[in-house]
Amino acid sequence: MERPADKTVLVVDDEPNVREYLTMILQDAGFNVVEAGDGREALELVRETPPDFISLDLIMPNMSGHKLLYELRRDKDLARIPVVVVTAHAGDEMGKEDLQDLLDNRMISGPGTYLEKPVNPRNYVQCVKRALGLEIEDAGEEKIDLREELQDSMGQASPEAMKKALEILRRSQEDS
Amino acid sequence: MTTPSWHSLHGDTLLEGIPHGVVVMDRDLRIVRHNHAFEEVFGPSHGKFCYQVYKDREEECPDCPARATFADERQRVLEESGLDLHGQTVHYMAQLTPLRDDGDEVSHVAAITTDLTTTKRLQREYQTLFEKVPCYVTVLNRDRRVVKANEMFRRTFGEPRGEFCYKLFKHQHRECEDCPAAKTFADGGSYTSQHVGTSRDGKPTHYVVSTAPLLWGDDEITHVIEMALDVTAVTQMEAELHRASVFRKALMENLLDAIVVTDENERIVLMNKAAEELWNADRAELVGKKAPAEILPKKLQQADDDETVLLHDTTISSLDGETIPVRLAGINLHEKDKLLGGAVIAHDRREIKELEREKITAERLAAVGQTVAGLAHGIKNVLMGIDGGMYAFRSGMQKGDNERMLKGWQMLEENIDRISTFVKEFLEFARGRKPEVKLVDPNRIARKVVDLFRDKAAMAGIVLEAELQERIPFALMDEDGIHACLDNLVSNALDACEICDSPDRRVVVRTREADGKLILEVADNGAGIDYDIRKKVFTTFFSTKGANKGTGLGLLTTRKIVQQHGGKVSFESTAGEGSVFRLEFPRDRLPSLDDDETA
Repeated sequence: MERPADKTVLVVDDEPNVREYLTMILQDAGFNVVEAGDGREALELVRETPPDFISLDLIMPNMSGHKLLYELRRDKDLARIPVVVVTAHAGDEMGKEDLQDLLDNRMISGPGTYLEKPVNPRNYVQCVKRALGLEIEDAGEEKIDLREELQDSMGQASPEAMKKALEILRRSQEDS
Repeated sequence: MTTPSWHSLHGDTLLEGIPHGVVVMDRDLRIVRHNHAFEEVFGPSHGKFCYQVYKDREEECPDCPARATFADERQRVLEESGLDLHGQTVHYMAQLTPLRDDGDEVSHVAAITTDLTTTKRLQREYQTLFEKVPCYVTVLNRDRRVVKANEMFRRTFGEPRGEFCYKLFKHQHRECEDCPAAKTFADGGSYTSQHVGTSRDGKPTHYVVSTAPLLWGDDEITHVIEMALDVTAVTQMEAELHRASVFRKALMENLLDAIVVTDENERIVLMNKAAEELWNADRAELVGKKAPAEILPKKLQQADDDETVLLHDTTISSLDGETIPVRLAGINLHEKDKLLGGAVIAHDRREIKELEREKITAERLAAVGQTVAGLAHGIKNVLMGIDGGMYAFRSGMQKGDNERMLKGWQMLEENIDRISTFVKEFLEFARGRKPEVKLVDPNRIARKVVDLFRDKAAMAGIVLEAELQERIPFALMDEDGIHACLDNLVSNALDACEICDSPDRRVVVRTREADGKLILEVADNGAGIDYDIRKKVFTTFFSTKGANKGTGLGLLTTRKIVQQHGGKVSFESTAGEGSVFRLEFPRDRLPSLDDDETA
């Protein structure tokens, strides 16, 4: 069975903080990581030493992620490298069209092909592992993440939804 | 028949009074007297023989009529030809009259000589005139029949063949009501009147017809000479002119722009409805009087005499004192070098001004809307930075990795800094400041900005220069605001150059004036902007400059300030080649001093 340590991930983002963060997450999960600050730098790196996986921001100077993807897909060897798009703009005017264009033209496809910033570290790692066919973590950690997920969704929930959830919880306690 | 005695003819006065040549010859045919009229034709002849003078002969003519007159003592008339004093052939008529002396003997013969050569010439001349004169000349009898017609008439109408005048000219079967020939027949006077006839191909033809009597002695007028001049072309031109004039009047009157025309003494000769309304004036009262200062303002008189003055954005005062924004044109009307007068054309801009104000407000609101929407997204990267900091700090603590903890702490600090900058800039942007508008020199602002960044550019090895069009008119602007805009653009341009590895990097600040617009440009040959990023430049808090470089608010702030000045921001950019950011300020949309607009 292959392990993360056998895999190299290229993290492309023009925000140094974001880049460092993603790198840390991946390194903590055991991956080898290389970084690039824009599309052009990334393209050079990929051509030199093709990584096993690319984590890609869309909007960057010098060469956008959108353009980089088109470049990669033109090259038969590089086209096979799995990519996850990590963007702050999946749902807004800036990113929607580009993302839709990438999906429409099958530049990226399948589940977990794009994540919206800010990303959840666990989802991020799972996404990379799934794409590389690596084993996903045991249930122990899963539980902790479930609690995190619950907290996340509670943070986003409307008061009405919370009321409903509370009622369901009470009823289930009464039932048991 | 009584024959006058020789003595009765003996006075010089009488002799000279006869408009014909007169000679008196004796029985030897020697000329003893002649008058001046004779000398004019045949030269001085006193003492010469008759045949010498008339014919330039040295012998007496055979069948001499003078000899015959001496013989039979009768008067006779004959036509002869001889030679004049210049040797030219001359035709003459001579009337020979025997003159008796006191003893009732015929001692002399008088010859009254009429030079027919002149008459014939006159006849020919008359004929030529009649034929060649470029109008229709006819001779009518009392029935209005054309008995004679000139060449032009015959060419157009054919031989008249005694046809009625009205039939020929008008295809009519009855005499015209106002027939000038009839009047001439009646009283012998000359008459002129206008007639519409029909040409041979059926088109209406306009004539001016004159008639005059042809007099033969004291008798009743038997014929009238009629001249008809074809004035169709002139009449058509008149009609055309009339139409043009009606057209021009209607156009002027219904034009939405106000027009006032004055003569060379600034007296109003014309004022249209729109002008009446704009100045709230009564034109019936004003036309013919000197134009008041409201209508002919001083600012229009400043120009050179032959120039048109065009003031795109100015105001006038109506006669009741209202200030009205207009586009105003003053035109001096010349014919060659002579000043005929002037015209003032005013276009009411009240409505446009209102619309412009509304549009500027709408643009500004839209920009604020986009900005607010963008805020949430702009913050995402900062949030992720904070997430990252916390992750690094927490995991560093768990692992006892001090370095990682420190890194996390740094990330937190950085992003908290960014948030506070962000909030500060956003508040600044959202609150804005009231622009302080005054007349400024755009070139001065550009120079100040270039000075401000000179050191920074030099340190980065980037050439920064100004290309300023000379003598750009001053503009009403908020100097600090425009300064801030150029700051932003120059700062962006320098950044674009810094992330690009080209050796010859430069940033140029330009000013120029074109099509009524003031244009400020900042051009660089730096990184340029990718096509897919280009369309987003203004939409959000967007920065591709990386952390700690910008909040992405610069262009938004620039756009806001430019919009406050009624202008717009545009740019051209090619990835890898550079960008040009352009601020365009239409002069007529620039704020005015009395604009009380708050941001």
